[in-house]
Amino acid sequence: MKPVERFFRKYFLSMAGIIVLFLLLNVILFFSMLIWAWQTSTSETPDLSINEICDNIIMDGEGHFTTAEGLSGLLEENHAWAMILDDAGTVIFQRGLPEELPRRYTTTDVAKFSRWYLEDYPVYVREHPQGLLVVGGEKGSQAKYYFSVNESYVRKLFVGLAAVFLTNIMVVILMIWKNTRRIEKAVTPILRGIETVSTGQPVSLPEKGELAEINRQLNKAGAFIAKKDTARAEWISGVSHDVRTPLSVMLGFAGQLEDDRTLPASAREQAACIRKQGERLRSLISDLNLTSRLEYSMQPLRMEKVCLVELARQVVCEFLDGGLEERYGIAFCADQESESLPILGDEALLKRALGNLIQNSIVHNPQGCRISVSILCGEAGITVEVTDDGAGVSAEKLKELTTDHRRLESMDEKLNLRHGLGVLLVRQIAEAHKGTMTMESAPQKGFRTVLTFPV
Amino acid sequence: MLDREILVVDDEKDLRTMIRSIFESAGYTQITTAASGQEALAVMAKKIPGIIILDVMMPDMDGFELLQEIRAVSKVPVLMLTAKGEAEDRFAGFELGADDYLVKPFLPKELLLRVQAILKRAYPEKERVVTLNAAAVDLDRAEVIRDGQRTPLTAKEYSIFEKLAENAGRIVTIGVLCQTLCGEIWQGYETTLMTHIRHLREKIEENPSKPVSLLTVKGLGYKLVVKELEK
Repeated sequence: MKPVERFFRKYFLSMAGIIVLFLLLNVILFFSMLIWAWQTSTSETPDLSINEICDNIIMDGEGHFTTAEGLSGLLEENHAWAMILDDAGTVIFQRGLPEELPRRYTTTDVAKFSRWYLEDYPVYVREHPQGLLVVGGEKGSQAKYYFSVNESYVRKLFVGLAAVFLTNIMVVILMIWKNTRRIEKAVTPILRGIETVSTGQPVSLPEKGELAEINRQLNKAGAFIAKKDTARAEWISGVSHDVRTPLSVMLGFAGQLEDDRTLPASAREQAACIRKQGERLRSLISDLNLTSRLEYSMQPLRMEKVCLVELARQVVCEFLDGGLEERYGIAFCADQESESLPILGDEALLKRALGNLIQNSIVHNPQGCRISVSILCGEAGITVEVTDDGAGVSAEKLKELTTDHRRLESMDEKLNLRHGLGVLLVRQIAEAHKGTMTMESAPQKGFRTVLTFPV
Repeated sequence: MLDREILVVDDEKDLRTMIRSIFESAGYTQITTAASGQEALAVMAKKIPGIIILDVMMPDMDGFELLQEIRAVSKVPVLMLTAKGEAEDRFAGFELGADDYLVKPFLPKELLLRVQAILKRAYPEKERVVTLNAAAVDLDRAEVIRDGQRTPLTAKEYSIFEKLAENAGRIVTIGVLCQTLCGEIWQGYETTLMTHIRHLREKIEENPSKPVSLLTVKGLGYKLVVKELEK
């Protein structure tokens, strides 16, 4: 399940990355916004420096205030006004002072407006040689706040802010992690199910929770594939069943014609040919049927204690008794240990496997060969070895035989059953017994097949 | 044996003709055929045949049903023909009392051999004497007859010889022979078997160190070569 874990790890990391990026972006945006607001708002209001105004209001020697050229214009342009209060709080100079404002102020008034507003007018104060200069702006044009805070409070505030920021990130990442785990938990069985379905096995996922519908569909898909496989195997089984009776009749009559001494030799040879081909068809049908049943796990295995040595003896004897032609020879050897070591197996299937291997050597070496069957006890279990000294096969052919594992799946494209189906069946039988099958061969160097069964 | 009546029950006409022809060319004279279970029962009502060859798959009454009906009235030996592979289903007919079965498609020789074996078992000859190269063995009395002298066989020797004689001309594996000696758990009895074989050879062979009747097939088993199986 490596790819799934990798997928979720990547998903989690990318989610965390997105959140961090998001926060960083926000910080950047916030500061850019501050800078933008500050820059635009200062550029919009022309410079109205209280110092400049202060310098522009001068008292001459006669006690009259003179103002510099353009001060009135400057104030008017900014909808601002200015006044100077003497020490008693009386307005001694003013420019553009709104009518509604008083002309006299108490100390309390001064204290209030120097910090906040004067009748909603934002005002700024500065010391002037003649008193207190007060410059006011338009109502609502400026926001005035005043605050003083404890130094340690400010420090704590910054530390706190950092902590809040970090906690936020941690909580978000934790939540993403938990969420990812939750999705992973829900999705993993589905992915496993898909993997199972892809091998053609039926799945059964619990049909509950938020993803119940997907699970249900997957179960349906698995059941559908299994049903199709069953139908296919049953179809093969049915066809092979229906072919058996006609083939019996053909084999029977061909055999009789072959033995009929009143017939000319050529006719009897032809009958022999029909019989031989019929026998080939017979073994092909039963191989095809059994291999499809094993492929789709429809073959019930009848496991019992089997002595491989005795089983092999019986198979070899059947060949020897069945009129094996002179040009073939079968040698048999077995060691003492394997004789007393039974394995759990299906006797009929194991006989079939060994029979197929011997038959292969006979069929593929029409010029004759020496076949040797040996049963030996090794470290990996009991090995059944069938070797011949015949023609062998090329490296490509051997590769085809060893790698084309699930031949039935590719049967539609290349119905190459004559070679290989017997071998496929042997492999299937070995695997059904948790065993292995290896093949070795080279042109003119014979063929060697080794089946290993765990004890 | 050739005059035993054989009843062939199969719905397939060609198969009936083929089986009839196999037995006729082998010298059997009394062959009856039936195309269905009902027909077979009608034939049996007149006379019980010596052996019945029965197809499992038939339309009106399948072979197993018919077998049950047959077994209700007679112990006649029955060989069943089945279209199912031996590895696919454990043959259900044995529980119902079939004597043997043959999977289609079969070779004529196979059918003949099976039927002969069943007949031999079901109708044993009065005197069972196996004639070998240098001696003869009277199976009923468990004696070896050699130069007019009768030598008795021990129980173990007899069971081994009987097994070999039953399969005369074919190899009988070491495992099968050991099983006749000591049953299911036979591993480790190979040397005991060899001792019995040696004793047997001393009784039946002219030269026990160069056997011509009881042959060893290396690693596999033993084979009995019989001159002829007389009455």
